[in-house]
Amino acid sequence: MKKTVLILISILVLSSGFKLENRVDTNSRIKAVFILNFTKLIEWPQPYRVGEFVVGVVGDTPLYPELTKMAKVKKVANQTLTIKQFKTIDDIEKCHILYVTQSKSNEISDVVKKIKTNSTLIVTEQQGLTKKGAGINFIVQDNRQKFELNKTNVEKYKLKVSSNLEALAITAQ
Amino acid sequence: MIKRYHILFVVVLLSNVAFGQFIGRDNLSKSLYYMQKQQLDSAKKYIDLSMVDDQLNESAKTWYYKGFIYKELYKDRDKSNKVSAYRMTSITSFEKVLKLDTANEFKESSLKILKYLSSTLYNDAVRSLNSEEYETAIKNYSHYRKIVLLTEPESDLNSQDIKFKLALASVLNQPVENGQILDSTITKKITSLYLEVLDLDPNNPGANYNLAILYYNEAAEIINNMDYDMDIEKLNEVQDYCIEIFLKGLPYMLKSYQLNYKREETLLGLSNIYYGLNDMEKSDMYKKELEEIKSIENK
Repeated sequence: MKKTVLILISILVLSSGFKLENRVDTNSRIKAVFILNFTKLIEWPQPYRVGEFVVGVVGDTPLYPELTKMAKVKKVANQTLTIKQFKTIDDIEKCHILYVTQSKSNEISDVVKKIKTNSTLIVTEQQGLTKKGAGINFIVQDNRQKFELNKTNVEKYKLKVSSNLEALAITAQ
Repeated sequence: MIKRYHILFVVVLLSNVAFGQFIGRDNLSKSLYYMQKQQLDSAKKYIDLSMVDDQLNESAKTWYYKGFIYKELYKDRDKSNKVSAYRMTSITSFEKVLKLDTANEFKESSLKILKYLSSTLYNDAVRSLNSEEYETAIKNYSHYRKIVLLTEPESDLNSQDIKFKLALASVLNQPVENGQILDSTITKKITSLYLEVLDLDPNNPGANYNLAILYYNEAAEIINNMDYDMDIEKLNEVQDYCIEIFLKGLPYMLKSYQLNYKREETLLGLSNIYYGLNDMEKSDMYKKELEEIKSIENK
């Protein structure tokens, strides 16, 4: 009996215990899936449907590595998906989708000015930004990642929103 | 120990039968004769045959002899067999003795032998704690428990149950420690083991922490394996499901925090669970606490 008690204790002591799955950025993965959906449910003008499909990220965010990972395995129709990171608003280049991180949220008006001649979908992650020019804004509702859609802001850049996307979004004015 | 049981057996035998007079007459006497001669196969043959007799079958004495002979068979040739049928037959025979023996003639001796057999079950249960034999471990431990409660009804097995369940859960989780992925049946088994431990001891720190990790990892794995092409309706369903799992894990991780168990790992766990719940304020709060601990450690 003593020997088996020792076996039992050693199992408990030697077990290195349960390890947290720490590689997963759950929030970024979900946002990446949303963003790939946006590329399918929004139509860009003809000149934007050739060459690379560029998703720009302004500011630092864990979403950037996740999008980069996605770009290695996914395309947008026949277009290669390319992810670009811009440190400042001045660095922003022509892109199909521009993700404005929370740290750059207070510069949203500069972003809008910067991309005004392009057909760019502005995606943000701060409450109230659909009122300041964002087409889509990620929000958290009941612990779930959701998105608001300001159709006017999207269409301002000659983009067409599918009725399906509209139906799935939280409408923002 | 062996000698003592033999003496007991002979005493019982002599007090109940004038041994020699039965030789050659009935199966029970033959069985006892061969038992005395240590010819166990013949003893087994005749004790099994005597069970066919309705009258003998209702006698505590017959069952006692059967239990004894099968116990001897177990000890003699089946001791290394963790699922010995001889042992189980011996146990069920002694259980029958305890039911039939209204005069308590065989009770003391039966209880002693049952205690001995239960200790062998416990030993085998613990020795079977590995990924190949864990089902044997569960069965043997369950038999062990049943016998302990039969022989010593006042026994408190909580502490032993907890240790066994925790050890079993660790064994089942071993593939993860070696970088493998558990199948969902095993994950469910581990989850239910921890829930059972927490029923017995709600403040068990290891069970609280490990259960929280199990829930967190389950949801995180689902999200990590999501196809980027998943449509929004499906994505919303996955989110609902994962939020439910994160919320299941949260109270256990908070309990682990309250119990001050594995402080750093628990803080990381809380930060991650709240991150999964998209509660960035709380996630950052626990992350900050973790960073503070680490910075103190590094000084």
